[in-house]
Amino acid sequence: MAHEIVAEMVANVMQIVVAPGDQVVPGDTIVVLESMKMEIPVLTERAGVVDAVKVSTGDVVQEGDILAVLR
Amino acid sequence: MTTTKPEPTAAARKPKLPRADDPRNPNKRLAALFDEGSLELVSEDDDSGMLAAVGTVDGAPVVAFCSDATVMGGAMGYQGCKVVVRAYERAVSDGVPIVGLWHSGGARLAEGVLSLHAVGEIFHAMTTASGAIPQISVVLGPAAGGAAYGPALTDVVILGPEGRIFVTGPEVVRSVTGENVDMLRLGGPEPHGRRSGVVHVLTDSEDQAIGEARRLAALLGVPGVLDPAAVEDVDLGALLPDSPKRAYDVHPLVGAVLDEGSALELHGRWAPNICTALGRFGGRTVGVVANNPLRLGGCLDSLSAEKASRFVRMCDAFGVPLIVLVDVPGYLPGVGQEWDGVVRRGAKLLHAFSECSVPRVTLVTRKAYGGAYIAMNARSLGATKVFAWPGAEIAVMGAVAAVRILHRRKLAEVTPDIRPQVEAELAVEHEKIAGGVDKAVEIGVVDAVVDPATTRSRIAATIADALAASGPVRGQHGNIPL
Repeated sequence: MAHEIVAEMVANVMQIVVAPGDQVVPGDTIVVLESMKMEIPVLTERAGVVDAVKVSTGDVVQEGDILAVLR
Repeated sequence: MTTTKPEPTAAARKPKLPRADDPRNPNKRLAALFDEGSLELVSEDDDSGMLAAVGTVDGAPVVAFCSDATVMGGAMGYQGCKVVVRAYERAVSDGVPIVGLWHSGGARLAEGVLSLHAVGEIFHAMTTASGAIPQISVVLGPAAGGAAYGPALTDVVILGPEGRIFVTGPEVVRSVTGENVDMLRLGGPEPHGRRSGVVHVLTDSEDQAIGEARRLAALLGVPGVLDPAAVEDVDLGALLPDSPKRAYDVHPLVGAVLDEGSALELHGRWAPNICTALGRFGGRTVGVVANNPLRLGGCLDSLSAEKASRFVRMCDAFGVPLIVLVDVPGYLPGVGQEWDGVVRRGAKLLHAFSECSVPRVTLVTRKAYGGAYIAMNARSLGATKVFAWPGAEIAVMGAVAAVRILHRRKLAEVTPDIRPQVEAELAVEHEKIAGGVDKAVEIGVVDAVVDPATTRSRIAATIADALAASGPVRGQHGNIPL
């Protein structure tokens, strides 16, 4: 089942860590966001395969925006 | 010759077990809670829908009651509610924890308003006991209406994998609003663990749920004595990333501050930007409140402030000292937060710490900015001691952000290419005057800069001294489910 990884807060996308097709396990970093002057890694809570990355480095994301989709 | 057997009917698949063999039998559930052989029933094992017992957990006395889901799905009538009220009277008079095991559709319809009245008497007994004795609820099956609010009034709610908590069930929801929703989505682990904050502890099995209740009963019922000599120093600083800008998960730090393997986190998935955990420290029960930079950068927001407030008040009511680990960039800004009442809910945390009478030690690991600095048990709110690690920043805001406001005109006059350099220089200057941990020590809002490698023993000595000076203290208030 598809699992969406969403931004918890307004942030800039600093770094994309995974690419479509990558296997991930709980605790793996998907992207790194920059917010409140901090670098905040976004981790997955589930295992799966990265289906799509929905953002690019430099994007501004809002709370609830989808960062990546796992399958 | 082979024949295709028809699908067994639901009734055939689940034959009604004799009560003695039914896993929902309250005798079995209570026996699982208590130390082996210690259970003694204090109510009749009849069809009241509730069963109560006394016994021990790790050798310490505990009172418990359990819904009898084998009788009318555990529905609560006048007699069953009396069983619970009497169990409360016993627990309060003995001064021991009470554990409720819930599996009930709520008030008995057939008894009408009498059952509502009786359920209300349980609520009253719970509220009267609030803050006086630890109250732990374990929800093992559906807990609807009165059986939902019962657990919600207690200090800690543990959810078994089959536990479902809701005010009105799927059928009523469907008939009133037309919304199609099942019990799992209405009141299962996902909604209550992550969204509503109704449940403190999620579990994977009924055994684990009851096991967590035993751990909590021991932590809250048998606080133990802090032995500073038993608190070994470890380099806690190694658990933080090298870059001060990098976010990290605070759980390993919380685990390392507490005695090994003793941490029991409450509300782990709800408002995860703050971590609240009970555990042992030098053998004594303590509570830890810690910002978690991995989530929302560790910002305080309306939910995390409310979560921490309730935890702080619970610890205070039961005489549990607090260790507050601070790494907070501020309050989460935005219209969503303001409309969500971050001012009202944030005020709860200011109130909770300010009224707190147990020893409470603050450690600023990296930074404490703005209003969130105050809310995380600052000196001004009456902290027993405030420690900071070398290089910690305590300020109204980050230095660069501050000089952008303070030196707006000056920065506008310089060309953009050298602006970052000028900002950096001004920031260094600003830190000398306004921020920096040395300044905080000088004005007395930080008591000492401590080495991460001796922090555990410093905290232990502080709490031990405070307990020795004051004797056992606890806040004289209930634990309203904020």
